[in-house]
Amino acid sequence: MVLTKIAWRSIWRSKLRSAVVIFAIASGLLGGLFSSAWMNGMAMQRVKNTFTYEIGHIQLHHPEFSENMDIKKTLLNIQEKISGIEKSEGVLGVTERIRITGMAATANKNLGVNVVGVAPETEKKVFELYQKIDSASGNFFENDRKNAIVISRALATELNAKLKSKIVLTFQDFNGEITGAAFKVVGIFKTDNNPWDKMHVFVKNKDLRRIIELPENQSHEIVVLLDDYERALLKAQEFQVKYPDTKVEDWAEISPYLSLMSGYMDTMMGLFMAIILGALGFGIVNTMLMVVLERTRELGMLMAIGMTKRRVFVMIMLETIFLALIGAVLGEILSMLFINHFGKVGIDLSSMAEGMESVGYSAITYPMLEGYRYVQITVLVIITGILASVYPALKALKLHPAEAIRSI
Amino acid sequence: MSIIQINNLTKTYQDTEVPVHAVNGVDLSFEEGEFAAIVGPSGCGKTTLMNMIGGLEQPTSGNVVVDDSVMSELSSNELIDFRLRNIGFVFQAYNLIPVLTAKENVEFIMQLQNWNKREMEERTLALLESVGLGEKVNNKPNQLSGGQQQRVAVARALASKPKFILADEPTANLDSIATNQLLEIMEKLNREENMTFIFATHDQRVMDKAKRVITLDDGKVISDVLKTP
Repeated sequence: MVLTKIAWRSIWRSKLRSAVVIFAIASGLLGGLFSSAWMNGMAMQRVKNTFTYEIGHIQLHHPEFSENMDIKKTLLNIQEKISGIEKSEGVLGVTERIRITGMAATANKNLGVNVVGVAPETEKKVFELYQKIDSASGNFFENDRKNAIVISRALATELNAKLKSKIVLTFQDFNGEITGAAFKVVGIFKTDNNPWDKMHVFVKNKDLRRIIELPENQSHEIVVLLDDYERALLKAQEFQVKYPDTKVEDWAEISPYLSLMSGYMDTMMGLFMAIILGALGFGIVNTMLMVVLERTRELGMLMAIGMTKRRVFVMIMLETIFLALIGAVLGEILSMLFINHFGKVGIDLSSMAEGMESVGYSAITYPMLEGYRYVQITVLVIITGILASVYPALKALKLHPAEAIRSI
Repeated sequence: MSIIQINNLTKTYQDTEVPVHAVNGVDLSFEEGEFAAIVGPSGCGKTTLMNMIGGLEQPTSGNVVVDDSVMSELSSNELIDFRLRNIGFVFQAYNLIPVLTAKENVEFIMQLQNWNKREMEERTLALLESVGLGEKVNNKPNQLSGGQQQRVAVARALASKPKFILADEPTANLDSIATNQLLEIMEKLNREENMTFIFATHDQRVMDKAKRVITLDDGKVISDVLKTP
């Protein structure tokens, strides 16, 4: 107890020096945690956007469909499957899609695109693409007009198309014949993923089914949205058992990049914090060596009057840990304030929007850090403190009491 | 009855070009209740002798026996524990723990010995009262004068009920009023509680008060005078 008291009070002997170390630790952590939160926020937004606009959480296909998107590799008894999946616990939405590749052409230009035939009502339960159409840019199939198409702003620019423009889609039908139809643009969306935007056009599946002569109750894809994306693997396994004639994939399988990114973020953050904590560790060692040097006589006296080396060691260690902990707590409080603030208002990098969106990232990022990260960092700072205290504490133990007492 | 027996004690420093015999064949013994001063010019070996009596330095040859324990035969950890339980130290530069109050400084030794809280508090307050600092228990060293700090050091030295107190130049940094106050307190403790004090000093006032004066020169005892009351 008395050692704790001495260690704690000793920190405040040289207020300026302790303040400098505490500030260094706090600002180091603030920098590290905030940058990690920023990167994490960007990555999580990317992941969330991918779920929300592009792939959902789970997809079911014909086992051979993914190989080359063969129009004939369809899922059969689609309604039965959808109602079965809808009843499963944790499922928020299920929708079916017809997926083919084709050419989109205007009078100016033509481009290869993925044509997605959607059921607008159920589509909105799984994907939020309809929210990416602003009021001046039409809507997501709200009118029952025939041959309507929703395209992206990026594709519209490329094709020189606008609302109500006519776009001709050409593709193969179910019998292998080339066919096509003219569609009228009813909505223009814009997500943060420019390359994806350019590649996808949306039409109603009843129009597409008619044009490609796809039989009723068949589709290429069922997409499922869950209440928690982390359950996707388990639910996918459950659906695979239930529908053995299909290939069920969770988001990590559909888009390995996402799971890779999640692992990459962990590694990056670990590396980041290791560098920061390493640098802080050396700073702490330096400070504590000065402390030992300044207090040589006092430490010698303590050993002379009967304080064991173990206790001297513990005292120096406690002092170091306290110093590190104060810095850590301060750094974490500041980080929390900054991360929470910018997590709400976002960091606006609109000036770099084009570049960011060309690689699929939003121009406004919302830093975020999971609560357990703060605990993790506190533990790491304590470990750093302990490691950093070993050398100065060993130096203190080498003092010879008789000589130390005589020192100035 | 002898509580410290010093037999043919020698300390030679070999780390200089010519070996220095700081203490050279000293034989002494101290009885319980002594108030003795080891005196001599600077460099005569007073502090080295005190350090060896206190177990802070190992002799080159000879030994110091305290209550049947040969100090040179104790391990480093045993020596620390031995000092804690048997010897009180008063240093020239007070050497209090600056972040602790007077009371906490005195309690510190007892805490190292795991005293119970109530007994420790009672003894601390009694000791600080006995050195005239009953009003200053909550003052930190920097709020006390040099003389007051040295009195706290005496109270701390007494805290663990040691067999004897070694005081190395305890008055060197004090003015005459503080010196007199300190010596009076030590004399009183010696007289009333039979506490053994051994001083290393070249302060004439301490020599005048001492009941026994041992003079060293070149590491040897050149006189050992027991004053008659």
